[in-house]
Amino acid sequence: PTTSKMAASVREKQTVALKRMLNFNAPPLKNTAAEPVWKVLIYDRFGQDIISPLLSVKELRDMGITLHLLLHSDRDPIPDVPAIYFVMPTEENIDRICQDLRNQLYESYYLNFISAISRSKLEDIASAALAANAVSQVTKVFDQYLNFITLEDDMFILCHQNKELISYHAINRPDIQDTDMDAIMDTIVDSLFCFFVTLGAVPIIRCPRGNAAEMVAVKLDKKLRENLRDARNSLFTGDSMAAGQFSFQRPLFVLADRNVDMATPLHHTWTYQALIHDVLDFHLNRVMMEEGAGAEPSPAGARPKKKSRKTYDLTAADKFWQKHKGSPFPEVAESVQEELDTYRAQEDEVKRLKSIMGLEGEDEGAISMLSDNTAKLTSAVSSLPELLEKKRLIDLHTNVATAVLDHIKSRKLDVYFEYEEKLMSKSTLDKSLLDIISDPDAGTPEDKMRLFLIYYITTQQAPTEVRAHETELNGTDKVHRLVFNQQIDKAFTKMASTPANYGNSGVKPMGLFSRVMNTGSQFVMEGVKNLVLKQHNLPVTRILDNLMEMKSHPETDDYRYFDPKMLRGSESSIPRNKNPFQEAIVFVVGGGNYIEYQNLVDYTKSKQGKKVVYGCSELFNSAQFIKQVRAADCSDMMLL
Amino acid sequence: MAVDRTLLFKASVKTVKTRNKAIGIGFDSTKDEIFKRTRPKSGFSPKAKEVITNITKLKDFLLQHRKDYVSAGSLISSDLTRMTDSERDQIDQDAQIFMRTCSEAIKQLRNEAEKKVTSSQIKEHRGAVLDLIEMYLKGVCKLYSEQRAIRVKRMVDKKRLSRLAPEHHSQVEKTRAIEPTEEKAVKEESSEKSTSEVLDNTVEHLWEEGRVEDELSPEEIQMVCYLRQHCCHGTFHPFPFFLPVRQIEGKVVEISRLQEIFAEKVLQQETEIDSIHQLVVGATENVKEGNEDIREAIKNNAGFRVWILFFLVMCSFSLLFLDWYDS
Repeated sequence: PTTSKMAASVREKQTVALKRMLNFNAPPLKNTAAEPVWKVLIYDRFGQDIISPLLSVKELRDMGITLHLLLHSDRDPIPDVPAIYFVMPTEENIDRICQDLRNQLYESYYLNFISAISRSKLEDIASAALAANAVSQVTKVFDQYLNFITLEDDMFILCHQNKELISYHAINRPDIQDTDMDAIMDTIVDSLFCFFVTLGAVPIIRCPRGNAAEMVAVKLDKKLRENLRDARNSLFTGDSMAAGQFSFQRPLFVLADRNVDMATPLHHTWTYQALIHDVLDFHLNRVMMEEGAGAEPSPAGARPKKKSRKTYDLTAADKFWQKHKGSPFPEVAESVQEELDTYRAQEDEVKRLKSIMGLEGEDEGAISMLSDNTAKLTSAVSSLPELLEKKRLIDLHTNVATAVLDHIKSRKLDVYFEYEEKLMSKSTLDKSLLDIISDPDAGTPEDKMRLFLIYYITTQQAPTEVRAHETELNGTDKVHRLVFNQQIDKAFTKMASTPANYGNSGVKPMGLFSRVMNTGSQFVMEGVKNLVLKQHNLPVTRILDNLMEMKSHPETDDYRYFDPKMLRGSESSIPRNKNPFQEAIVFVVGGGNYIEYQNLVDYTKSKQGKKVVYGCSELFNSAQFIKQVRAADCSDMMLL
Repeated sequence: MAVDRTLLFKASVKTVKTRNKAIGIGFDSTKDEIFKRTRPKSGFSPKAKEVITNITKLKDFLLQHRKDYVSAGSLISSDLTRMTDSERDQIDQDAQIFMRTCSEAIKQLRNEAEKKVTSSQIKEHRGAVLDLIEMYLKGVCKLYSEQRAIRVKRMVDKKRLSRLAPEHHSQVEKTRAIEPTEEKAVKEESSEKSTSEVLDNTVEHLWEEGRVEDELSPEEIQMVCYLRQHCCHGTFHPFPFFLPVRQIEGKVVEISRLQEIFAEKVLQQETEIDSIHQLVVGATENVKEGNEDIREAIKNNAGFRVWILFFLVMCSFSLLFLDWYDS
């Protein structure tokens, strides 16, 4: 039993920090029957994004928060109520806080800044407080160092608002200025610094040379070093270290750049979470779907049936989700069916009891029968809320899975997935690329483009042949074609410099998907299991593996090594530590996606006792990635 | 790990003060400090706080006396700390009255808050505050009812223990009698009172039934002690013919719990049914209006057709007339 398993995950730490903040910056008491204290929570959009995946509205209510409002909304004065602010220390936010102080909206103010506030801004607030004679009301001012969003126990992203500022496009566009780059790097490093403060550990940093990842590593190292040297204000001493949560070992922090693996964001996927992200509107653990779209056209003259938008939250409490978010889709479909069957059985049990109760009348023998069933009834009644919750979750997943399945069927995503898997594992292809491209039913033009790109990234063929196939592309127009060419060239040049090896999967999938969906026979599931067992590592996973296990590999030998705790910054890339690492954090600069995350999770499962956390500067699915790459091209491209 | 910047803030305040003094901007801070700003203290908040302090007092009181209340008290010795039953009754009564007044106060506050409200945010805030207070009250009531249930069970145990086999059937009758009366009581109560009061009544009723029977006589107490010392080895083993009775009494306690749950559910459904009723009424109104509109539309349609026909006929006649006129 390793302590790394017992160590709290980043999500728990962030949640604990938030709960502490919401308890007026005091540790929350365990006493459940404590007096209620009510408060008002004010946040900006950054704060909202941080809180929403971690705490539900009900949990906020249970902690005594009666109202939660956006900072820049119209707020009425509510005297006699303490207000907790959770905002970024930007100019507009500070101005609004000063305005609130002047308008005396609340009784007392607890100001919590998501990242560190500067001295000058603090003085601005001080002068506004003085002017409003509200200095005594400003009870506490805290720097929370929570400037990152944790989506899963082992996954985090930097921000959701304003993510275009640090997007792949922003970092890789050709016309970027040094000052812009600096600003972007500062934002990223600030968030990463907050991450490590919350984690309570100083990592050992490894990064490749010559790209954005290196710049981030250098700045992060500098910042950590400065903070450690400053003994008085060091954030890494004290409770968290004393708890010994890392068992004398420091975590490894691997920085990777998006450009090392351009194919994975384009890849079609078939694990549940990644599919939802690819196909539906999925942000911050929330799925937004349109429902009730009638297939039949509405009769003339009548108002069209309104499509209702439904949002579903996929949270940590949802056991089905936690179990199956990484499972292949057919498995998910099966499991939903199973859950539905068990639920129906339990429901029938309760109904049966009901009928038995009704039958029992006035006769003598009733008592003994009653006693038996009373216990059953008690258990049934007490399990009713559980049952209802289960039903809600089953409904949720049925709807989501059905929506995903619709997309899969209409775009034939299974065909794409299989083909891409074969491409990436360099096994023999039974269909030529042309067949898939020219098939009018299979997928949107975007899907085809993705396939093309992966083809040329993995096979490294000259792009000229592609242009010959242009006419085969469905629905292409001039701009499309042009952009497409640019993309191929770009991808090719990138890939030519760093040829990526996608590993071997070694198993031939056999049109499983279509068979499963059509026949649904149990027998076919056997094939699925065979496929899933063989793991093939994506480039990022491979890099991590090499660095974590201290293996020697031409790709990673050249990586730089930073240790902020060492007294002298050394330029050598020879790691001092020869032991394999138990904990690692992988961060992809330029954006990441769920496919990589899933791959890392699978890798971690196969290794005993290792803990890996995945982070990226933003999350995008293929459509968004293509848009960004296009934007990067269009910025210096002349349209014919 | 959060960093406390409050001291830094206070230091900044001082800095700004000295800076302002230096520049010459002087705030009349001293005067303001002496002259306490009188903010309009709305009545809501202090009242709510008062309710909470009351509930806390009740909770402390219950917890303080809990040990004595619950202690089985060995029937052999007579400790000074042991509570008499009359004291326990007193506590029960006081607690119930207290809980009733608290829930009344909450209801009153809710009505007041509804009336005086000015903004939707304040309304929401007050509603949430009252919900929190209610939950707190429920928690404290639960404490009380737990204590109560233990006491009742113990009393029922005592009764069973002291009765001999022949009286087994009469007990069965009694327990059967208890169930339907409880149900009746619950049905009556559930239609109007709040949950905590229903709970009080059901438990009260059960307890009252128990009270009808006589107190243990000294001889019975002695017999029980004798039995305990010689037969029980520390845990209580019922005689074989007490077994079904024990089961029944266990079931009775469970049934009372169930009924409490059912009563709560029924109350919840009551509010829902009310809202559904409103909706249905609204829906029938809408359907009626819709029908009216359709009828009018039909009429207009018909009228429109008449006019069209008329127009066409007139046109054709005018054409004929012109034709005749020309030729």
